[in-house]
Amino acid sequence: MTTDAARTTTFVWIVLSAITIASWWLAPGHTRGAAAVASVPITVAVVLLGFIKGRLIIQYFMEVRTAPRWLKLFTDAWLTTLWVAVLAIYLY
Amino acid sequence: MGDFVAHTEQTAGEFDTAAASSVSSTDGQRGVHLPGDVHMWVMVLGDLIIFGAYFIIFMVYRAMKPQEFLTSQEHLNINIGVLNTLVLLASSWFIARSVQAARADDHTQALRLTYFGGLCGVAFTAIKAYEWSTKIAQGYTISSNDFFMFYYMLTGVHLFHVSLGLLILGITVRELRNPRRRRPFMVESGATYWHMVDLLWIVIFALLYVMR
Amino acid sequence: MSSTISAQTSQSAKVADNGRTPRAGKRDVWLVFWIVPAFYTAFGVIFFALARVMPPPRPDVTTDQMVHFFHAHGLTIKIGFGVLVLIVGGAGVANGIVVYHMKRMTVGSVMAYAYLGSMSIGALPGCLLVAFCFLTAVYRPGRDRQVLALLYDLGLLSYVGSLGCFTTAYFAFAVAILYDRNNIFPKWLAYVSVWQIVTEVLAVPVFVSKAGPFAWNGSIAFWMGTVIFGFWLSCVIVFLMKANERQPVDEPPLD
Repeated sequence: MTTDAARTTTFVWIVLSAITIASWWLAPGHTRGAAAVASVPITVAVVLLGFIKGRLIIQYFMEVRTAPRWLKLFTDAWLTTLWVAVLAIYLY
Repeated sequence: MGDFVAHTEQTAGEFDTAAASSVSSTDGQRGVHLPGDVHMWVMVLGDLIIFGAYFIIFMVYRAMKPQEFLTSQEHLNINIGVLNTLVLLASSWFIARSVQAARADDHTQALRLTYFGGLCGVAFTAIKAYEWSTKIAQGYTISSNDFFMFYYMLTGVHLFHVSLGLLILGITVRELRNPRRRRPFMVESGATYWHMVDLLWIVIFALLYVMR
Repeated sequence: MSSTISAQTSQSAKVADNGRTPRAGKRDVWLVFWIVPAFYTAFGVIFFALARVMPPPRPDVTTDQMVHFFHAHGLTIKIGFGVLVLIVGGAGVANGIVVYHMKRMTVGSVMAYAYLGSMSIGALPGCLLVAFCFLTAVYRPGRDRQVLALLYDLGLLSYVGSLGCFTTAYFAFAVAILYDRNNIFPKWLAYVSVWQIVTEVLAVPVFVSKAGPFAWNGSIAFWMGTVIFGFWLSCVIVFLMKANERQPVDEPPLD
């Protein structure tokens, strides 16, 4: 039984999995033998992707998309605060 | 033990402004609906704040020794990290689908999907145990350095949440198997908790394995 | 007197004309209740101001510094911990009244006794061991430095490291609340208790960590644990009070 909701859920899952596999390329251990090197663009990408993945899970899997406004605000605030703080500390 | 009841309908009703949990063939939640019950959301939101604090403290210590964290990170197996992430994402997909099935009163399907979700959770645990044992065999223990202490503690407390999640999924299974129960808020609450476990792992994966 | 308090069923309290639930509860239970905030206030004064154990002194110090700690705070340690030994029964009372209300839950007494047992086990390392270690340390001037260092470590490791002892208690508390149909305590308090367990899991590394967030004075092992414990304790005290209020005066005595 494939309904609209089921299709949406599956699509979100595929996007999340695709982003995860993309992270594989970004990760340090991927290229063996290369020394560990810090990379601001990669980390910025990781933070952005982390935010997107988190929001997808919250809005679609946890169904916050159709939840009361206070919950939408709280979860968005948490996501934003977390990733902004992570990036800020990293860049400092 | 008694029923996992003790929940007044009033609490769920306070937030269920539109009667959106009605069954329809196209499913989809119209209007505003708080999945599960407010108590579980207290748990989830509080847990997110607590973990948020742990993540920020991690970043602060990382900023104090960036090179040590970078070189230590190299010793993590990114393949296992990716695999674990995919497994947990799949489990969340199963659980999200099981909630939809429960709403459509297809309880056999909901049960089956919950089992699959739980199975993924078990797989995650097994993979994590394997990962830890290889790291320890290679000599990277909790007292190796700050990075590894964070690695074991963050993944460890996350694993504790996974175990709790499996317990909660067990309660969901019990709920779904009994025709006299099958209360939507119970199934939804369990799913909400499980998705939180997934969400936390996404952050842990990004911070420990990927970012540099 | 009780004749002026209207008869109430054991399931729900009647609501007074102005919409608020009239204060009920049994007089002896109220007496016992007030011991709880009184004890924990005294506990706070002792541990923060007198014994200087909250926040704990650092693990990454030299033997000289440990010796200095005992010299500097000898008097307040004696006063604070000396008093603690006298009033520590208050912890037992606090556990007792929680058990009392847990026994009024529909899950029966098993969880209540698990809570009581686990809390009792935790009481020795949880606050008494550090008291005796520190009292011993300051008892004789000129004590051997290595012995002082040992008492320092033993006291503080047991104080912070014993958090795990209470895990079973919080688990029993959470399970009991979630399964209770009498709604003695609100359901979300069970989840706050789960947070307690989480912070305790994160305090386990104190036994291998000398500095940083997982040391016995660390931001994660100590501070976050203490903040969440403070929140949990405040909630428990408030809801003990509410449980008292909602308890009908004529409820039969418990088994």
